Amino acid sequence: MLILGIDTASPQVGVAIGGHEGVLASFHSARGRQHAETVTPAIEFVCRQARVELREISCVAVDVGPGLFTGMRVGIATAKAIASALRVPMIGASSLDLLAMPVRHTSRRIVSVLDAKRGEVFTAHYVSAPGGIQRIGEYRCETADELVVELMAEHENYLLVGDGALRYRDVLSAVENVEIAEQSLSMPSASALVQLAHSHALREQWVNTWELQPLYLRQPDAEINWQERQ
Amino acid sequence: MNDVVLGIETSCDETAAALVRGGTEVMSSVVSTQIDLHARFGGVVPEVASRAHVELLTPVIAQTIIEAGIDDSAIDVVAATVGPGLIGSLLVGVSAAKALALVWDKPFVAVNHLEAHLYAAFLEDPNLELPLLVILVSGGHTMLIEMRDHGEYRLLGSTIDDAAGEAFDKVARYLGLGYPGGPAIDAIAEQGDPTAINFPRGMVHDGLDFSFSGLKTSVINYVRKNPDASNADVAASFQQAVVDVLLIKARRAAKSIGARGMCLAGGVAANSQLRLQFLDACTEDGVHGFLPSRLMCTDNAAMVAAAGWYVFNQYGPSGLETGAYPNMKPRWLAE
Ligand SMILES: [Zn+2]
Repeated sequence: MLILGIDTASPQVGVAIGGHEGVLASFHSARGRQHAETVTPAIEFVCRQARVELREISCVAVDVGPGLFTGMRVGIATAKAIASALRVPMIGASSLDLLAMPVRHTSRRIVSVLDAKRGEVFTAHYVSAPGGIQRIGEYRCETADELVVELMAEHENYLLVGDGALRYRDVLSAVENVEIAEQSLSMPSASALVQLAHSHALREQWVNTWELQPLYLRQPDAEINWQERQ
Repeated sequence: MNDVVLGIETSCDETAAALVRGGTEVMSSVVSTQIDLHARFGGVVPEVASRAHVELLTPVIAQTIIEAGIDDSAIDVVAATVGPGLIGSLLVGVSAAKALALVWDKPFVAVNHLEAHLYAAFLEDPNLELPLLVILVSGGHTMLIEMRDHGEYRLLGSTIDDAAGEAFDKVARYLGLGYPGGPAIDAIAEQGDPTAINFPRGMVHDGLDFSFSGLKTSVINYVRKNPDASNADVAASFQQAVVDVLLIKARRAAKSIGARGMCLAGGVAANSQLRLQFLDACTEDGVHGFLPSRLMCTDNAAMVAAAGWYVFNQYGPSGLETGAYPNMKPRWLAE
């Protein structure tokens, strides 16, 4: 089984390919937001480095967000086009899941915290589970203060991971028993996506191209304004 | 030369895909319009449009291929609009097109949306006579373009403020006729008297450029002073002022270049009065008048595929590192 993973939901662009043998090749660029310009050549590059033809891919995985709206749509549109042309299924993974994946070997409660701008963070809670992670509760968009209240309510030992945790380090450190993961783990990665997708694929937890949905966690501004006027 | 081109168009609020053979034979063309999604906002909301494109594009492409009754392997080139337009919307189409080109191992071609509008005419009449004067009128553009040959264009005139379609939208909104404004004014104007109010014909005597913002302001002032004026008369008189200016300048431009043909393009070219009076003007001036069908005037992907075919044959493929260019200039301005 070969999985192509595409992650453009953050300011970074990541592409990886892998399967039973783990990640065979990956591409990562953190140089600013040129998602559409970068992702297609990156897929071509990764396939060549892995010595794999695109038509050998059996599943396309994509980071469905939350994150940068425009960036995540580039990845989703690309992934859907590839999956539909190859007639293979897709696996959508949240950027919050991808943050939790690399730090899963911990006994602490993992909390992924992505900077959502406008004073808010996207969050989700996880515990380590055989072969991966298990999410507890919903994906949320909330303020750092709301997150603090939430963390204080349950007396767990926490490992916070993500650029939102780093940005609001001062506020979040006020909670007891909080550890914050380092900078190098603060963004989702395509390699984590391929690993996570592989564990889903083993259980045939995939969707058809038309079923795959972006995870925005925030409505368009025009929609919010319109509802406020009603 | 009989290449089959898949065209993809997502520059504004239509999600469209089409298959065109040899630059002229439309095998299938699917347009999914988002008008209903934007109507309650009174205009196109970029974020709402982008979200709809990402949901609709894959099914629209699949539908196009099914309707043409061909296999994926029969597609030779993948073309997509890369600009001008809404950045978030454009990116969905560009990303999908490049991905398909990569999977199928076929060339990708970047298409300029304005050039695509010119090719709408050639789709329905491949024997259009050159030199051709194209009147490109839409929500974003008002241009008079001289076409000497394929890929050989010259901009003769354009608007210095509002686009013609923008004036229609703004006046319709002011009159409470709803969105989109073009069809709303077109419909109500049928019951009105186009000579009822003598609105100004902006810049009619100077050069080939247009100005519509003064017209819009005088419509608003007139309605303020005459609250009992009939919407139908106001709409008909406003519409006639737009049509007059467009046609007076287009005929002047056509004469100056010795045009053998004149052609309408863009969303406003769906306007009934503009279509009628355009044909009369062509007959009077003895030039071949060409009127694309309404479906070809508004945004569609068949015109993108047709333009893609010409661009590919003239300039070759575009790179996979191509992005989206919201303010992209057409080739005739780039030089
Ligand atoms: Zn257009």
